[in-house]
Amino acid sequence: MSSGKFRQIVGLVVLASLALSTYSCTVVSSNEEFFGSTTPPKQNIFRYVNGDEPQSLDPAMGNGQPEARLYMALYEGLVEYNPKTLAPEPALAERWHINNDSSEFTFHLRQNGRWSNGDPIDANDFVYSFRRALAKETASPNAYLAFYLRNAKAYNQEEVFVRDPHSGQFLLARDFVDDLPPDPISATPIDPAKPEYLPDPNEPKSDPDTAFHQQMHTPLRLTLPGDEKARAKRIDANPKLKAAVAGKEFVPVKAEDLGIETVDQYTVRLYMGQQAPFFLGLLAHQVFRLVPRQVVEQYGSAWTQPEHIVTCGPFRLKTWIPYDKLVLERDPMYWDAAAVKLDEIYFYPITDQTTTMNMYKVGELDAVYNHAVPNPWLHVMRSKRDYMDAVEAGIDYLIMNTTKPPLDNVKVRKAFNLAINKQAWAEWRRIVKPLTAFTPEGMFPGYPQPQGAEFNSAEARRLLGEAGYPVTQNADGSFSCSKFPVGQVEFIYNTQGSNKAVAEWMQAQWKQNLGITVGLRNMEWKTFLDARAKLEYKGFARGAWGADYMDPFTFLSLFYIGGENGTGWVDAKYIAMLDEANRTLDHKKRYELLAKAEAYMLDAQPVIPIATASVNWVKKPYVKGMYPNPASLYPWKYIYIERDQAKWDYSTPKLTAD
Amino acid sequence: MLRFIVRRLLVTIPTILVVISLTWVLIKLAPGNFYSGEKQLPAAIEKNIREKYGLDKPWYQQYGKTMWNIVRHFDFGSSLRYEGQSVNTIIRNSLPVSAAIGLLAYLLAVLVGVTAGSIAALKQNTAWDYGSMALAMLGISVPNFVLGPILVLIFSLTLYWLPPSRWAGFPSWNLVLPVLTLSALQMAYIARLTRAGMLEVLRSDYIRTARAKGLSERDVMLKHALRGGLMPVISYTGPALAFLLTGTVVVEKIFALPGLGNYFIQASLNRDEPLIIGIVAFIAIALLLLNLLVDIAYAYLDPRVRYQ
Repeated sequence: MSSGKFRQIVGLVVLASLALSTYSCTVVSSNEEFFGSTTPPKQNIFRYVNGDEPQSLDPAMGNGQPEARLYMALYEGLVEYNPKTLAPEPALAERWHINNDSSEFTFHLRQNGRWSNGDPIDANDFVYSFRRALAKETASPNAYLAFYLRNAKAYNQEEVFVRDPHSGQFLLARDFVDDLPPDPISATPIDPAKPEYLPDPNEPKSDPDTAFHQQMHTPLRLTLPGDEKARAKRIDANPKLKAAVAGKEFVPVKAEDLGIETVDQYTVRLYMGQQAPFFLGLLAHQVFRLVPRQVVEQYGSAWTQPEHIVTCGPFRLKTWIPYDKLVLERDPMYWDAAAVKLDEIYFYPITDQTTTMNMYKVGELDAVYNHAVPNPWLHVMRSKRDYMDAVEAGIDYLIMNTTKPPLDNVKVRKAFNLAINKQAWAEWRRIVKPLTAFTPEGMFPGYPQPQGAEFNSAEARRLLGEAGYPVTQNADGSFSCSKFPVGQVEFIYNTQGSNKAVAEWMQAQWKQNLGITVGLRNMEWKTFLDARAKLEYKGFARGAWGADYMDPFTFLSLFYIGGENGTGWVDAKYIAMLDEANRTLDHKKRYELLAKAEAYMLDAQPVIPIATASVNWVKKPYVKGMYPNPASLYPWKYIYIERDQAKWDYSTPKLTAD
Repeated sequence: MLRFIVRRLLVTIPTILVVISLTWVLIKLAPGNFYSGEKQLPAAIEKNIREKYGLDKPWYQQYGKTMWNIVRHFDFGSSLRYEGQSVNTIIRNSLPVSAAIGLLAYLLAVLVGVTAGSIAALKQNTAWDYGSMALAMLGISVPNFVLGPILVLIFSLTLYWLPPSRWAGFPSWNLVLPVLTLSALQMAYIARLTRAGMLEVLRSDYIRTARAKGLSERDVMLKHALRGGLMPVISYTGPALAFLLTGTVVVEKIFALPGLGNYFIQASLNRDEPLIIGIVAFIAIALLLLNLLVDIAYAYLDPRVRYQ
């Protein structure tokens, strides 16, 4: 080949690639008002990328956000989320009463509820669905959310009551467990002089007393592990208990012992094992949605296959091709079918952000899942009118392993917190708000959220010095901390999204303000989770938490009994503070007590709060009735396609009532 | 020949069992569980799940049960991640997607690759040769995760000619971009293999003999040169086809195709043991069978192999 020809070819190739790269830049930064096509679909069909392929169509089994959204279309429970505030609204229950200490709930069902096969829905369906969700063999990952029901955890763990074979009396929990709060009203004998419920002018007739009601209104019973070895261990550890169980029989906790009752065909009553003021907000969760008894019992785990499935939500399953698409159509049997606006919904299971955004741009999608916009695109996308800009009920934070030195010293943990300029981080990240507390800022109206420590690098250095790691300033103004055992700490994160940026930012802050260089380690997702869960990491790990329900307790309970949080921090006083708050009936007082507990936890510093998250997705302007609510859960029946351009959304729709 | 085939098939079975066992061990050694997520499950819930799926049993019981079901019923069990979906069904449903894309890509690659390679060989050291080999070099150097998005950028996002992703059945316009992306690398390899093979054959004695016998140039090329020149391409076909048919992770991910490759990567990330084992076993079987087919084809194409 002559060198001239060769140069020609190389030149052409270089030119072509240059043209391509400049060209791709112009596409990304083009200055259109909306991102791509704004032509509404011809048919009355809503096309949505929902994130990952659903684990299951069984509402007891899936525990991710894509599943939660899907179940909201297919299934209904007692209550449903409000599309803007996520507050519980009547669904299959028309109205309800809550007793005086939020430990007993009576729900009156609507009588026109129907399954997709036309069968009527009544109170028995709820009793079956709740019992099934809590049964051990179901092994629902969400079951713990229902543990507030009386005897729920004991039933789920196949525990046993202890009964005297002669008198039939059961041993009571309060006699053998220390520091147990007093029983809730729902577990104290009925006193006609003290009404359980506040009088309701709309409900002239009080709810009937039943044998089950009376049986529930007895003190909470002691439960012991069903497994003999574990039980023997527990009994041997407590001499008083050992004496008491002698000659007694062990009675398995059965489904019938669960605190749920059919008062009559259209009335369901729930009994809690404790005061649970947040429980109503939790009832819209998928684990409390109805499943069809007959189909589940007939087909087992195959009941969710398209040929068998029976549902009860505004939409029913039309086709399901895994990893391709899931098509739902309006269910004519649904009690409120007339209010359902869309004919069909396409759920595409796609996780690749770029692929999702490409489909959105060419007009093959009407909306995308939360966090579908890739980070590098944010600066362009945020200026588009179809970008959803709103806070999310989620927080980003760093977890610390409080069981290993040097982070077992609270002063060291505080120093690392104080040395991070969260304000600067939020400005750099653009779509988050700086956070010093452990609950998302401004999410719970009326909650007096405590303020954690602000950025203060001098104080951080002082604390480190007090902990025995003096920080010295070098001639060039930088700091060094030669005594600090850097080999004993590192920052682990999983390979995804902006995690690397977070890690590098924190590393730089500590280097700059403390003179300590913390090593970074990038890990595969499940490996990371494993290391974090088993406390097999040293130093710091990335953490994030999203609300299960709209109450600060969903965040604070991360450090409650059984809360698995990856820090190793457990504090009896903190748990007692939360218990006290949840026993408090006055809403305002309860929030104050929760805030006090949060401040106490922040002071112990098992975590470093970083930011309140923001939602990060797009929807076409013609999509109406869909709101960027804090949990990205959408009641699908309100969504419609608006063909009149004058009525389109030209900016993020407001989350306040119209 | 028959004996050869039977012997090869018999060796295949233990090979696959070893592959499955190794996979099983690797999954057990990998940290993490199919049920772990950002929100750590309470210990009580984790215990229920482990008991339901038999993860609380000793390792030899778990291994024995897995192997027994595979050997006895050819049943890989149900996916752990996708409740109630059997591995066999998942493979049956996702294989046609991967196979359609893979086969089309391979046919396109052979068609273009062999043509380009032959032209390059016949017109050695001309602009044709340099041009096609430069393109082939480009095809080998540009990875498909770059090529795919560039094609999408041009043909979907700018010209609005072709859909950017997703599966829409066979045939459909949705196939064009993934097939092009997938075939580029194969095309380039085949072009280079063909050129090298042809060049070697063109200089050999039997081509000279054929010409001396007075055969037309067309007959010499098509009947003798091409046949010999394609031998390296044929031996490349076995692994390439197995690779293409059983799913290509990157292309299926870029174009959101519900193929086997997509499942494979997801299953590994999800620690979905039965699904990983099922797909690995399937790919191993496909690879071994296709290699056997290649060997048989070799025997028919090359007289020297046949008469040995």
